[in-house]
Amino acid sequence: MGTRRRAASDVALTVWGVVVFAFLFAPIIVVVISSFNSGRLLVAWQGFSLEPFAALVSKPAIRDSVIVSLQTGAISAVVASLLGMLAGIALARRPGRWAAWFIGLLLLVSVTPEIVDAVALLPWLVFLGQDLGMPVFSDGIVRLVIGHSLFSTAVVSYIVRARLIGLDARLEEASADLYAPPARTFLRITLPLVAPAVLAGALLSFTLSLDNTVIAAFVQVSGSTPWPVYVLSALRSGLRPEIAAVSTIMLILSLGALAVVWLVLRRSGDASNQIARTLAGG
Amino acid sequence: MNGQPEIRILASRAAAPRIAAGISRRRFLELAAAVGATSALAACTPTSRPQVQATGGPVESELSIYSWGDYDAPEVLDAFTASLGAAITMDAFNSNEEMIAKLTASKGTSGYDIVVPTGVFIPGMAENGLLTRLNLDLIPNIEHMDPAFLRQAWDPQNDYSICKAWGTTGFVYDKTVISRELKTWSDFIDAAKNEASGKTSVLDDPAEITGIYFWANGIDWNTTDPAQLDAAEKFAVEELAPHISNFDSYPGGEAIPQASQVLMQVWNGDARIGILNSPDPDRWQWVLGSPATELWMDNWAIAAGAPHPEAAHAFINYVLTPENALAELDYIGYHTGAAGIEDAARDAELEMLDLVFFTPEQIATMNNGEVTEAQARIVDIWNKAKAAAGA
Amino acid sequence: MRRPGWLLAVPAWVWLLVFFVAPVLQVLWFSFGYKPGIFGTHANDVLSFDRYAEAVTPTFFATFQNTLWVGIAGTLLCLVIALPVAYWMAAKVPARHRGVLLALVLVPYWTNFLIRTIGWQIILSPEGALSHLGQALGFGPLDLLYTRPAVLLGVVYNYLPLMILPLYVAFDRVDPALREASKDLGADRLRTLFGVTLPLAQPGIIAGIVLVFIPLMGDYITPTVLGGARGMMVGQLVASQFQTAQNWALGAAMAVLLILVIAATLGIAALLAWLVTLPFRARRRLRLGEA
Repeated sequence: MGTRRRAASDVALTVWGVVVFAFLFAPIIVVVISSFNSGRLLVAWQGFSLEPFAALVSKPAIRDSVIVSLQTGAISAVVASLLGMLAGIALARRPGRWAAWFIGLLLLVSVTPEIVDAVALLPWLVFLGQDLGMPVFSDGIVRLVIGHSLFSTAVVSYIVRARLIGLDARLEEASADLYAPPARTFLRITLPLVAPAVLAGALLSFTLSLDNTVIAAFVQVSGSTPWPVYVLSALRSGLRPEIAAVSTIMLILSLGALAVVWLVLRRSGDASNQIARTLAGG
Repeated sequence: MNGQPEIRILASRAAAPRIAAGISRRRFLELAAAVGATSALAACTPTSRPQVQATGGPVESELSIYSWGDYDAPEVLDAFTASLGAAITMDAFNSNEEMIAKLTASKGTSGYDIVVPTGVFIPGMAENGLLTRLNLDLIPNIEHMDPAFLRQAWDPQNDYSICKAWGTTGFVYDKTVISRELKTWSDFIDAAKNEASGKTSVLDDPAEITGIYFWANGIDWNTTDPAQLDAAEKFAVEELAPHISNFDSYPGGEAIPQASQVLMQVWNGDARIGILNSPDPDRWQWVLGSPATELWMDNWAIAAGAPHPEAAHAFINYVLTPENALAELDYIGYHTGAAGIEDAARDAELEMLDLVFFTPEQIATMNNGEVTEAQARIVDIWNKAKAAAGA
Repeated sequence: MRRPGWLLAVPAWVWLLVFFVAPVLQVLWFSFGYKPGIFGTHANDVLSFDRYAEAVTPTFFATFQNTLWVGIAGTLLCLVIALPVAYWMAAKVPARHRGVLLALVLVPYWTNFLIRTIGWQIILSPEGALSHLGQALGFGPLDLLYTRPAVLLGVVYNYLPLMILPLYVAFDRVDPALREASKDLGADRLRTLFGVTLPLAQPGIIAGIVLVFIPLMGDYITPTVLGGARGMMVGQLVASQFQTAQNWALGAAMAVLLILVIAATLGIAALLAWLVTLPFRARRRLRLGEA
């Protein structure tokens, strides 16, 4: 009797799980399907067509915004990885009293609602660029990179720190014992150890940057409009299937980046659970 | 209207005779606007950064336009790029307030070249260093404009702007849902509370919402009377907002073709776009707001700090030719202020011209807006109406 | 000889201080100012709390209330939906399938937020397939779009992965041996669940609630896409002060108020949770004392 009851509740759990997963994927599937809509309006299905995908090539506005997104993603990934890697190493290997404050700062960056970040950053960047006379801050790509890099830096820091803490510090100590100067130890031992985490962090930063909408909408400069901001403004004038088509392409791109992350972490020995923890941002 | 207090006027010697010739309050306001605007423009000091004047040099390879939504014929834009080489980036705003907020916040770093403000905002924008002076030598096609639409009170020398289009405000309703005939703003309000409750949209523009109240009740919509503003706030927040389901400045783009709403406040050209693009045009009825409504004029202007001033001038000049003016009118559904365009449009047998050209009687009911000291209050009322609609 | 540890973190420190802390402090500074005239954005020569008073006037306060309602309801719904799923993934699914399921949860998590929400706009549209299906079955056209329930649906959907993942990680950490021990000691499944598994997964539950509640309260995209005029949330209010009303002082005050509301709510929730578990903790302590 116990076995049958267990099976019933287990079945219920399984059914619930399947339902929730279907729920999670419903809108994504709808968007992908809508990419093939030959009609003018995204909402009203008219027929099957590959035409919306051509918009990526034929419509300069869309093409430019995708290029801006990719550029910004790459640059902010590099920036966030560098900053986060150094910070993560420092947190893991040499924590002092400052560490608690720093982690507090990282936490604040992670949980602050994006709208607050956005309305704060625009006046500040204008202040830096105009009132303080530093024209670099008026450049569209620079502004976007700054806006995207905040959260990403925090994410990379967490990941690198978590990874290093899990690894044995004795390798670096051994290197020091063998008379290697600190720079050498850093370059030949520490860096390779954190490399998978940094790579994972870089790819995650890239994906996050592609996704960033609210901050980008506020700080962007006309001429360097990223893809999500283009979609946001298209919301007002009417969504077309080409938006869904390009979104599908960007989705595949993001998933590709994530798959690479998964593989890299797997290769360096992480179990699925650890990877999940990493990808959930620590 | 209300009994008027005595007005004491301090004026220049040149203007004094005209003022002394006994003018009504309304004309005084127009004159004051003109005088004020002129002196404001004359006294306009540049911002901390020097204004870049276009000198007729080579046209840059890019041009950025910040305008109202769907406000230019795509073929005209493409033809411009094809003939003069500058690739165009378009960005849209919902209201003048939004555009001004963007330009002010970015202090010249917005990246926009051409902006399209409504006339009454131009003096203030120029005074606050948001616009660059036009080099009219680079815009010879201005000769194709109907002189009645140049030298407006807000920019008497066309230093900063040239008329792009003028239009008015009304509403559109779904005849399959609302079977009675709606004719006035009072009808609009009534339908919003009854058949169209929860399926009504209004323009996402501060003055348009208080405008509904003022036009329906025969009050000058440029009033600064606190009691009337209080009444407008009460109306907007308590009476109208609960029935509004969307604040949409461009129902013609999606809401009309998709029939997402039943009753929509809309500008005339946008209504025309929406109905022409609807799968079922006969179900929609356009109504010009009555007994009073708005007359607005949007203008080409160049933003301060424009990165591509040569291309900006070249574009404005390009768009003012008679052929392009007609092409623009056909797409956007507004009178572009070009000379002889009404005859040209009728000759070309363009569709739904009753939404583009109006009779003198209709035009008499249209009133220009003004930027008064009540502006902050009106924006506040609009904010509160939006919050109340979301409640 | 050994360089101080924090040296490596300096670049990150500087970056975050300059581009995060400073701007947020500037916003706090703005909130005490006012809006000078029609074309001015802000002025701080006269400091006051007036903007805060303005931000809590009944009309705006109603938006704060709605946002709180959506925030709490959304978080609780996420929790209720996610708990069984996370538990199922961590405890019931055979180990070889867990990786795949994890990957499947991560896909929506890393899909563009805006695009996911637009997906719902398509599904809920009165002209869409679902609506047509409903009409064929005799219901009227789908009327859910641009209402507060639509926003609730949207936020629950968008933040669900953010709740599932920490819960999964927490459940995963719970040693299955502990559950077995509990059953060996005679506790039935429900008792095990509430007495052993859930308390041990508590850190994950707390993490999930915090990770979902905070961004949800400040969400700008979901109400913009799905809410129309009806489902307005504070994020949009703040945005409109900066984008249209051009009243930075008021917008800043609203933003600060939002943060305070979030902190206060979490604080109250923590307090309630502590109070609720107090009697249980007392009982447990007593029992151990007797051994």
